[in-house]
Amino acid sequence: MKRFTREAVLLLVAIPILLWTLLPIYHIFLFSISSKDSAFSGALWPDKPTLRNFGTIWREEHFYLHHFWVQIWNSLWIAATVGALTLAIASCAAFAISRLKVRGGRSVMNLALFTYFIPAAFLAIPMYKAMGNYGLLNSRWSLVLAMVTLASPYAIWVLKQASDKLPYELDEAARIDGATPLQLFRLVYLPLMTPSMVAIGTYALLLAWNEYLYAYLLLSHEQTITLAVALGHFIAADDSPWELLMATGLVYALPPAAIYYAFRRYMVSGLTAGAVKA
Amino acid sequence: MATVAFREVHKSFGATKVLHGISLDIAEGEFMVLVGPSGCGKSTLLRMLAGLEDIGGGQIAIDGRVVNDVDSKDRDIAMVFQSYALYPHMTVRDNMGFSLKLRKEKQNLVDQRVANAAKILNLEPYLARYPRELSGGQRQRVAMGRAIVRDPKVFLFDEPLSNLDAKLRVAMRSEIKALHQRLKTTTVYVTHDQVEAMTMADRIAVMRDGRIEQLGEPLELYDRPANLFVAQFIGSPAMNVFDGVFRSNSVSALGAQWPTSARAAEGQRVIYGMRPEHLEPASSGIAAEVVVVEPMGAETELVVRIGDTSLTIMTRGRSNAGPGERIFLAPHAAHAHLFDAASGERI
Repeated sequence: MKRFTREAVLLLVAIPILLWTLLPIYHIFLFSISSKDSAFSGALWPDKPTLRNFGTIWREEHFYLHHFWVQIWNSLWIAATVGALTLAIASCAAFAISRLKVRGGRSVMNLALFTYFIPAAFLAIPMYKAMGNYGLLNSRWSLVLAMVTLASPYAIWVLKQASDKLPYELDEAARIDGATPLQLFRLVYLPLMTPSMVAIGTYALLLAWNEYLYAYLLLSHEQTITLAVALGHFIAADDSPWELLMATGLVYALPPAAIYYAFRRYMVSGLTAGAVKA
Repeated sequence: MATVAFREVHKSFGATKVLHGISLDIAEGEFMVLVGPSGCGKSTLLRMLAGLEDIGGGQIAIDGRVVNDVDSKDRDIAMVFQSYALYPHMTVRDNMGFSLKLRKEKQNLVDQRVANAAKILNLEPYLARYPRELSGGQRQRVAMGRAIVRDPKVFLFDEPLSNLDAKLRVAMRSEIKALHQRLKTTTVYVTHDQVEAMTMADRIAVMRDGRIEQLGEPLELYDRPANLFVAQFIGSPAMNVFDGVFRSNSVSALGAQWPTSARAAEGQRVIYGMRPEHLEPASSGIAAEVVVVEPMGAETELVVRIGDTSLTIMTRGRSNAGPGERIFLAPHAAHAHLFDAASGERI
């Protein structure tokens, strides 16, 4: 009886929270299957649900959607590149600091931790200036470099903590077996780090995918902006096509959902590692 | 096969000196066991030989070649770790063949060597398995297989049996010994377990606080321990020792006269030592009170008390003595060990 009561209480708390979370998503969905006229009708379900909005997006048949495919490609390309670069940098750094125990490793870790204290928005203007100096403004690389800079410290921390958990005897055994540091990295370290690497790669990828501020600052041409920035343009006009905005937003939300679903096994264990400084 | 030589080897960790000039020569094909309590420096010495630890001072030579500045991988050694250190993401076959692959040996040679090692170690049915699918003993055998496959000049073992249960430990002990008799590879074996040392070694180096206390064949150490530490470290149950004074060819201690064939100065303060199996109960002799009786079948261990001092007695067969009973001990003069009370050195 006591157990039943406790579960009932938990449910009473959980259901409103779930609804609260799902309501906006339901709203987006509702808008995206409504026609322009009925979008604001306030009904819980549109009279005539339609997929026409998605067709419009697919064929780029609206002023705001003229570059939809280029923009989603930009988003994908930038997110994937940020994920890959962050992984490369963080795994090399974690390997060098945790396994090869290079001199100054601790300082690097402390500096990485220090960057946590600076809000990303704070760095937006300096970053804009730096990219301008290098002539990278309006290039996809400017956003890639900026996002890698923001994602790397956390990635290094998490991977370093995960590396510390691998038994050091493995490295010693490999050294005696004749492995060079590079072979050790490639043949022993990377395979054993796969779960953490998947989690961190996904983290960096989604960080870049979801980024708005930096993308808005660093990219300005219709052909170079990401879909996130393009979505922002929708509400610039007085007469915004809400149903198209929501439909595009739904499309925009699908890749992250798919990635989370595919890698859900790695997410919890990978991301909580390094949550506390051991 | 190769010789190994340590010459005045030193090592410090920060301000702590862990090895104080170790010199040790290991012959070709010899099974040398380094034994001592934890923190005595035995593992450090082994790791220096393996190239996993810098050599603080002195020289280490393998087969006459000084290896102080030679990389682990170029020393032609193989090491078996306490934790096995198997690569978790590789099958048994890949674990064993890893070193050969790194050396870019031909695949058929790798296969042949792995198959050969698997046969010696009875690992053939497990070649396709991963380490997590093996029992502790099987993992240990894979670790040994990884060493055999390389056909190295020297085998190094760092407490390889410590993670196994008692029964398996005994079994693996004889497997390692049989393996050594078959391959005749020079072996350096580190353990804190004196039974392992006694049963496996050709020679034992007993270490304490970064020094070799005594070097010799197992029974030599057992019969003629060079000092009190070795006397008490080697042998199980440990040797009985107590303070006494040497007087007219015997030692007076615990209110009795203890016979000895060793000679010390008249009136010299000594420590008298006698192994449990040399203290048989008799019909007359030194009186003692039985405290604990531990029958083990083939033999019986008795803990007795004389005054405040406890002694251990090992008698063959069964004993009908019970706790609280008085028995008599007849120590054998030829088996008595005398140590100087001040220095602990053998007299």
